[in-house]
Amino acid sequence: MSIPAELKYTKEHEWLRIEADEAVFGVSDHAQEALGDIVFVEPPEVGRSFDAEESIAVVESVKAVSDVYAPVAGEITGINEALEASPELVNSDPYGEGWIAKFRIAEGADLSDLMDADAYSSYLEE
Amino acid sequence: MVPFAGFEMPVQYANGALKEYQAVRDGEAGIFDISHMGQVRVSGPGALAFLQHVTTNDVSKLVDGQVQYSALLNESGTFIDDITTYRLSESEYYLCINAANRHKDVTHLRAEAADFDVKVEDESDDTTLIALQGAKAQAILQETTSADLESIAYYRFDRIDFCGGTAIVSRTGYTGEDGFELYLPNTAAVTVWQSLLDKGAIPIGLAARDMLRTEMGYALYGHEISDQVTPIEAGLMWITKLDKGEFIGREAVLVRKESGALQRLIGLRLTGRGIPREHYPVVCDGSVVGEITSGMHSPLAGCGVGLAYVEAEVADSENLAVDIRGRHIVAERVKPPFVRSNVRR
Repeated sequence: MSIPAELKYTKEHEWLRIEADEAVFGVSDHAQEALGDIVFVEPPEVGRSFDAEESIAVVESVKAVSDVYAPVAGEITGINEALEASPELVNSDPYGEGWIAKFRIAEGADLSDLMDADAYSSYLEE
Repeated sequence: MVPFAGFEMPVQYANGALKEYQAVRDGEAGIFDISHMGQVRVSGPGALAFLQHVTTNDVSKLVDGQVQYSALLNESGTFIDDITTYRLSESEYYLCINAANRHKDVTHLRAEAADFDVKVEDESDDTTLIALQGAKAQAILQETTSADLESIAYYRFDRIDFCGGTAIVSRTGYTGEDGFELYLPNTAAVTVWQSLLDKGAIPIGLAARDMLRTEMGYALYGHEISDQVTPIEAGLMWITKLDKGEFIGREAVLVRKESGALQRLIGLRLTGRGIPREHYPVVCDGSVVGEITSGMHSPLAGCGVGLAYVEAEVADSENLAVDIRGRHIVAERVKPPFVRSNVRR
C-alpha cells in the first residue's frame, strides 16, 4: 500500500498535492484497490465552484459507482483528460497519471481536517 | 466474497474482474463455481406429461442427450423461474434452476406433481456445477477425459465418468463463448476443479460472469425476468410454445398476447460517455419511459450497453436516452448480443 509522504489525505480516501493556493487531487491507492478495475471516470466541469465534502466526480469500477468528494472548498481549474480514454490509470498510478482534477483552493478554506501520510496510515489501520 | 442464496460467492479472484472477463473473451478458458444453482430430477412414466404441464417449452421435441432453455410460469403467466431441461431418457429428466428460486421451484413442482405419475427429487445439495467457458474449454476438458467431447453439439450433453462419479457434461453456458457445464457429484468436485486449474483454466468470479452474460443480452432472474413480467414482455416467446397444448400460465399469456405487452425488454447502446446501471431511468423526449435492468461498460463494444424495460409504444423510438446522474445520454436500440457470440451453432 503506497502512501506518499508529501501528500494530504481525507477520510473518504482522496489525496491532495497542495502547491500555494492550488491543489491536484485523486483517489488513494487504498481506494483504487478497494474499487477494483476502474472503467469510467466522470470528471467535474472546469470552472465549477464547490464546497468541502461535495461530490465533484464519479469513479466507476466493474462492480460499483463511487462518488469522489471535494476535500476542501474551491474551484476546478483543470481535469485529467487522459482518463477519458484510459480510466485504468487510476488503478495503475493513482498518485501520478491517475490524478483526477486540480482546483484553486477557496480563500479561507479549512484545511485542518486533512491528514498527513502518517495520520492516514493510522486511519487505514483503524 | 458475498453471500448469495445461502452460499458464499466470490465476486472476483486475485487478478480482478476485468482480467477474468478478458481471459474468457480472448481465447483462454475460465472456470466458474456455480454450485449454488439447483438441480431437480424428474422421473417416472408421467415425466413428459408433467413437464409439458409445468414448463413453457415443448419437451416432446427433446431427444435423449438434448438440453432445452425453458421457464416455469404461474397461473398469471409471469415467471416463477427460467430453467434448462435435460432429457436423460423418455421417463427421466433433469432440471437446472436458479439458486434464489430453488425452494419456491421445488415446492411448486412437488405440488403440481401430485396429479402425475412422477417423482421430483431435489439433488441440489449433492451436486456441484462447474462451468468451463472460452475458446480453450474443450482442449482443457479433453485432457481430463477419454470421452469424445467433439461429438457433443451445442445444447447437447453426455454422461462422463470423472473420479469415480458420473457427471452430466453439456455444451451450454452463460458467456457467449464455446464451453461446457459439468454437473458433478460433490465427492468429485474438488479434484475436477483442481485438475482444470492445473491445465490452465482461470477461475472467474460473479462480477466477470455478469459482464459476460450482460454483453450477450442473456436474461437473469430478478433483473430481466421476475413474477412481474410474462414471456411476452421479456422477449421469451421463443421458449413459450402456445401451440403445444395446455401448460400453467398459457391462458394468461394468450390473454396478454391479445391485449398487447405494456412494456418490452430492449437492448440499448449508449452513443455518449457513461455506464447504464440497474434502475437508471430510460427517457424518451424527456419523459421517463422505463429503466435499465442490467448494464455495463462493454470492453469489446467500447461503450456502455444495457438491457431495459420500456413502455411498449416507445420501444422503437429513435429518441431514447439513459438518465445518468441527471445527464441524458442518447442510446440507440440494438438487438442483443452486444458483441459477437462465439457459441458453437
